[in-house]
Amino acid sequence: MIPSALSRPAVAADLPFLSAEPLDLVGLLAKSHHPEAGAVVLFSGEVRDNDPQTDVDYLEYEAQEAMASKLIRQILDDACEKFPLKIALAQHRVGKVGISESAVVVITASPHRAEAYSANRYIIDRIKHEAPIWKCEYFKNGTKEWGGNCNCQKITGDANKHVYEWTEDKK
Amino acid sequence: MTIQVFAVLKDYFDKEFEIAGDLKNIAALKQELAVQNPQAANVLDLCRFAVHDEFVDPDYPITTNDTICIIPPSSGG
Repeated sequence: MIPSALSRPAVAADLPFLSAEPLDLVGLLAKSHHPEAGAVVLFSGEVRDNDPQTDVDYLEYEAQEAMASKLIRQILDDACEKFPLKIALAQHRVGKVGISESAVVVITASPHRAEAYSANRYIIDRIKHEAPIWKCEYFKNGTKEWGGNCNCQKITGDANKHVYEWTEDKK
Repeated sequence: MTIQVFAVLKDYFDKEFEIAGDLKNIAALKQELAVQNPQAANVLDLCRFAVHDEFVDPDYPITTNDTICIIPPSSGG
């Protein structure tokens, strides 16, 4: 019998947490079915052109890859301890990512939907705040801007403490 | 010691460079970098430092053989 702790790594173990290639949302979803999971949630964080004035051409993501991969694994492990997940996986793009492409995907599967939604928010929230991954916006006029930093340090006074969207009461 | 910087810090420093001198800990390194490049001081204040891919505190002792990563606040997703 496979120990339950292995049910997530059974999916995630062979999946790199960072990818220089486009994320295969359909392929990942196809791997995310589980006989004991009645709910599967897929979140895709996609590149948007949020500033029509400046016209975003594309984004480029950079990571401290060893640390980012280790941290995403840790976040998935934490999520599996916190929620009754059958499957949890996450993958983040590095390199050039175009408008409407997926920059990050998180898939959670659990017996019921409440946990699948909550766990998914928990995972994406922590990845965005904690993972050493950065985006740079490249504009059509040839300029660029490193953007959207986690600013929690200004509120909490501690680089390791964040203000999350996900909170326990939304569990 | 070897310093690796990421993201916005590459606007202020080479991606990877050597730094010499008697720097006993992370805090001293941070101060030295801010002296070398005062425009980067505010950004450096928001960064965390990592040695051997682990975050370390300002009083963490560093040696000439270390590779130190300077990690700005995250902006993934």
